[in-house]
Amino acid sequence: MDMKSRKKRRNVGVIGVGQTKHSSHREDVNQPEMVFEAVREALDDAGISMDDIDCVVHGNMELFEMIHQPDLWHELGTGSLGKTAFRLTTGGTTGATLFCAADNLVASGMYDVVMAIGFEKLQEGNTTAGITNMADPLWTRNLQTGALTGTCAYDVIQEFGEERAKRASMMYRVIMDKHAMLNPKAHRQFGLEFDQIDYLMEHSAKLVGELRIIHMCSQSDGACAVILASEDKAAKLGKKPPVWVRDHITIHREETFNILGYDNRYPVEMTHKVAARELYRRNGITNPLEYFDVFEMYDPSSWWGLDWIRDFFMLEGDEHLRLVENKEIMIGGRMPINPSGGVIATNPIGATALIRPAEAVLQIRGDAGPHQIPGPVRHGLASGFGGTMWTVLIMLEKDLDWEQESRP
Amino acid sequence: MSETFGVKVEDIFGTMPDRFRPEAAKGIDASYGYRITGRGSWRLTVRNGTMTIERTDALEGCVAITTADPDTFVGVNIGKVDGMAALTTGKLRVEGDLMALGATTKMFKKYVTPKKEPSIGEYILDMFGTLEKRFKPEAAAGLDMTIAYDIGGSEGGKWTVTIREGTCTVTEGLAAEPTLTIMVNAKDWVDLMLGRVEAMTLLSTGRARFEGDLSLAMKLGEIFAPYRPSAGAQPEEQELVVLKKIISVNQRFATGPVMGKFLNGLKEKKIFANKCPRCKRLQIPPREICAECRVRVEEFVEVGPKGNVRMLEYTYYASPDPLTGETRETPYGTAYILLDGCKGQEVFAHFIRPDQLDRIQLGWNERKGTIVRPVWAEERTGSVHDIKYFEIDE
Repeated sequence: MDMKSRKKRRNVGVIGVGQTKHSSHREDVNQPEMVFEAVREALDDAGISMDDIDCVVHGNMELFEMIHQPDLWHELGTGSLGKTAFRLTTGGTTGATLFCAADNLVASGMYDVVMAIGFEKLQEGNTTAGITNMADPLWTRNLQTGALTGTCAYDVIQEFGEERAKRASMMYRVIMDKHAMLNPKAHRQFGLEFDQIDYLMEHSAKLVGELRIIHMCSQSDGACAVILASEDKAAKLGKKPPVWVRDHITIHREETFNILGYDNRYPVEMTHKVAARELYRRNGITNPLEYFDVFEMYDPSSWWGLDWIRDFFMLEGDEHLRLVENKEIMIGGRMPINPSGGVIATNPIGATALIRPAEAVLQIRGDAGPHQIPGPVRHGLASGFGGTMWTVLIMLEKDLDWEQESRP
Repeated sequence: MSETFGVKVEDIFGTMPDRFRPEAAKGIDASYGYRITGRGSWRLTVRNGTMTIERTDALEGCVAITTADPDTFVGVNIGKVDGMAALTTGKLRVEGDLMALGATTKMFKKYVTPKKEPSIGEYILDMFGTLEKRFKPEAAAGLDMTIAYDIGGSEGGKWTVTIREGTCTVTEGLAAEPTLTIMVNAKDWVDLMLGRVEAMTLLSTGRARFEGDLSLAMKLGEIFAPYRPSAGAQPEEQELVVLKKIISVNQRFATGPVMGKFLNGLKEKKIFANKCPRCKRLQIPPREICAECRVRVEEFVEVGPKGNVRMLEYTYYASPDPLTGETRETPYGTAYILLDGCKGQEVFAHFIRPDQLDRIQLGWNERKGTIVRPVWAEERTGSVHDIKYFEIDE
């Protein structure tokens, strides 16, 4: 077999994706029923049945719904009875970790067809209480404020000035809403217009510092399922051409917040930058902005979304701001980011980072419907974010045509 | 007076006394203001489990004032507009204490839009208007018939229904030679269709008459799906039950000797960091190893107690305190402080004295932030609360 990837024993393709409609309250269904909706859609998308699945990888956030081992109860919805089943939970990155694990399980030759399932019903627990408990219980938990922080806004404002920074982050927000309006599965669809930017900058309620409620991601109920298969199986089973998983990378950092000294004499390198640099190096990508056709980013707020474009595309100075200000990140623009509306619109956390590669797959296949990017989509990028600044970055390809990598 | 979703702003305020739940207002003594664009201002006063609502421009002393346009205000109150979405997009604005305002949502039962029963004439029109949709072709296989409906009374009318080759058409007026004619008063027909009266009752009392092929009349129930009113009395749906649970767990965590040294230091009003033997960075609180160098860290250094503020999380949103589950009072501030003897990213997180939040300046590169000092608790037990907060050193 042609070894197209340095560490993979064989090629792996996505043959099916499924999502629920995401919303603030899915009180019409219980957890297994909700999970089943995504599983059913993924199986139908692939044109296969549960009999074809060898292994199920299931995950969500620990503590959010306070259910120990939800994969037991959820067996009703996942269909994992009698199959190998794993449960993973890595905070915000959970969904992306599920995807990477499924890829590893198939690439290693252990299983031929693996289904990754991520879910969350945020209305059934207490998200902030869950998140504050991620910090060490000896000290930091006492001071933690959950996922809400004004640090990124402070950073961007210090670097680019208050007016420009606030306007750019709100521009990013309105673009995400315009995308969400086109995605029938998106949770929050406000119908924002660009001429509301000034009003929103002034009037949206403040959460922490310059982080306002309009900037922050939603709390959603929803689930996502993605089916990955070996090259052989994909050719036999899938009713649509597979989308290939070229490579993925996960970078952790230690669990402390000793990154807030704001002194450029003591630089801090964030994991997004490290992940992007290493992933592109080993895949010979020198100009990611040129190379990729779509990016589904885990953007927990429009401040982070704005700021991280620079890290993920290895840009300099204010290039990332200009991409947003010139609406180049919109569907139809030079580098469409989150045609789905992203995390700000839809955030069932355990599913969120799995929706990223799932949406990128739809774009590459041309199946995204109203939020499909015009023109050919051959190279997709998807990211996950969680914990105390962890990064997962995933590369997806339409064709199995990339160059054999150079070994270090 | 204009309406939104059939409801006036005045309806919401006017029904407040009827919707009030005294048990949810226990211990609350506050006034809340409402400014509804183009409609005026209202003041809600809650005291000793009682309430008053008055239309007035005098909103002084209200703990929270809500401003919204009539559509948003009514929409949120009747559940047609998501309150969080309205708040997020600024369509609904709150000055003052958002959490206090939150209490009012529990104080009132939800506003229910009074349902208007359709008139007999509206029912009749709806019944014949939906007949073609309710037709079941598979149940009418082989049937060829014409039914004339002669519905009497001022709200009645005349219709002909033709069923032929698996199709159904409804036309106004009576056919010349129907297979079956049904004659009934409009009110009785509506009652029959809504299941309020039985066909046999109407037939046996002569209030309804069938002429022609009576065996076909018996089939009507199979050929058409039952009428369900699109307005008015809805058939009862199964209630979806939601279970509420509260988990409360006692926990105790061993701190180990390294963290223990730090916590014991607090009892003596000392703040200890430890220093990596390789990269020389300080960690506060101290940690067993340096995660970057992967070596044990055994040297302790006393730092502070004063320092300069590098970052302040000025928090307006009241998140739960994970230690107590209680909602924190807002605004509050978590600060990242560079204690004397520390540099770069070696910051220490703690709270800032709440009444001094607005006076804190943040450091940036070489520029120092406001100098602060710890305020120690009288009784110190080796916990985060041994320092009450940091205050400006002046």
